[in-house]
Amino acid sequence: MTYFLLKMSATLCVKLQRNQGWLPLIQSVRHGSKAVTRHKKPVHILKQKLIAVTQYIPPARTVPPGAYPSEEKHVQEDNEFVLLLKKNLEEVFEECKMIAVVQTNACSVDDMLMLRHRLCKHSIKIRFFPNQVMRSFLSNSVYSNMAPLFIGPTVLFVSKEPKVKEMMSALRVSPQMTLLGACIDNTLLSSQGVVSYAKLPSLTVVQGELVSGLTMLTSRTAFMLQRHPAHLSALLQQYIKQQSPDDGAEATPKAEEAS
Amino acid sequence: MISLIKAAVGGLTVISRTHGLQQAPLHSYLKICAAGLKTFPVIPDYSNVVLPEKPKLKFLNKVPNLKKAKKERKKLRDIQGPARAANTFTCGQYAIVAMGGGYLHWGHLEMIRLTINRKIDAHTTFARWRINAPYKPITRKGLGQRMGGGKGAIDHYVTPVRYGRLIVELGGKVELGEIEHVLTEVAKKLPFPAKVMSRESLEEMHRKQKEMEENNQNPWTFKQIAQGNMMGIRKVLSPFDLRNNGRFTGKFHFPGRV
Repeated sequence: MTYFLLKMSATLCVKLQRNQGWLPLIQSVRHGSKAVTRHKKPVHILKQKLIAVTQYIPPARTVPPGAYPSEEKHVQEDNEFVLLLKKNLEEVFEECKMIAVVQTNACSVDDMLMLRHRLCKHSIKIRFFPNQVMRSFLSNSVYSNMAPLFIGPTVLFVSKEPKVKEMMSALRVSPQMTLLGACIDNTLLSSQGVVSYAKLPSLTVVQGELVSGLTMLTSRTAFMLQRHPAHLSALLQQYIKQQSPDDGAEATPKAEEAS
Repeated sequence: MISLIKAAVGGLTVISRTHGLQQAPLHSYLKICAAGLKTFPVIPDYSNVVLPEKPKLKFLNKVPNLKKAKKERKKLRDIQGPARAANTFTCGQYAIVAMGGGYLHWGHLEMIRLTINRKIDAHTTFARWRINAPYKPITRKGLGQRMGGGKGAIDHYVTPVRYGRLIVELGGKVELGEIEHVLTEVAKKLPFPAKVMSRESLEEMHRKQKEMEENNQNPWTFKQIAQGNMMGIRKVLSPFDLRNNGRFTGKFHFPGRV
């Protein structure tokens, strides 16, 4: 310790001897820049290390973003226009007995106008609804099985009375319109089903036929009894002959006795 | 029939008057089959927006109206760190926010004023200054002067701006998309990095910063190490670093720091 002090004093004394005012051996070079500079100041290595150590580490992701498609896209709130369209659709489904789905391929405006005019005479209206709205409405309603019909450019033919014949005749004239299906009286029909429905006779005719079929036997017998009795006996004889030609001889005298 | 065809070519109004055709809503009258569904977004409600009398930016003086101009020290700390004043929205919806520190002089302010006043529609939009007219005197010595001989004379005045300060605020019956291009034009010419923000985007920025601070997985934070003076790190850190936790250096801001 003393040796060190002696050494120090020796050097100091030596310094004092050399020049009257002495400058320190080690002089730190003072930088000219202040704390706020236009350039980015060189950062001390320790501060660099501190910044490297204290970097932000985000929470670990099990799945990289974009690996799975997000399911949120399907749930979209309907805007007011879509709600209005759905209300209209509801009214249409409630009011109209016949709703036919027709595909309009490259239908020009004047063709469409002709068709509208023809169908208007039989009070069949043509309604257009966007497919997206239609599908979302159908998925929430009873008529969900109609959803596959609405692909491509489709148009609805709606009417309160199921006037299928007139609609078919109108569609036959315009070749580019293809009937895809129809919902008549809450029953889904394919295009063949609609054609066969069109060929059906009307309700009154069918009722009349049924009634006549039921009362056919009784009416026939009543008719025959109203005729002359000789005619009836002749008919019965003929019938017996046809029935048993072997026993004809025995049967005919019995028949004669009866008459 | 021919009359009907002519009507179709003529116009919708003619069609509607034609005999025998029922009145149907116009949008479904003629065939308008679109590939998708056209959405009609709701127009924002501007009924509670009040436009001030003077919607344009007012003229700011080059030199403040002082009796006797005093020379001031450099005091560069008015650029350092985040802004504590004028960093939130008052009356407008959209603003230019400074993303760094710097000085704005009269030339910048004139550029901002002229660009914005020229490009906005005075009937629908209004703009307001969020910074003062230049008040800090900057001195300069003459060309070729040697060191010494006292402080130089006042050359011009500047306004100091910190990070996070709003420069101009815009509002009125407009959406961001309408005035974004005007504000980005101005923001590019400023001497510090600046961003165009709306109220929501500013809130989003603050929220993200907070979220980063909360869900940081790094067990070591700058704040903890600096405050505890771990490893004697205060030797290389200043009190400014202690206050701002390594997010600022001089006039610069580091966006990734937490």
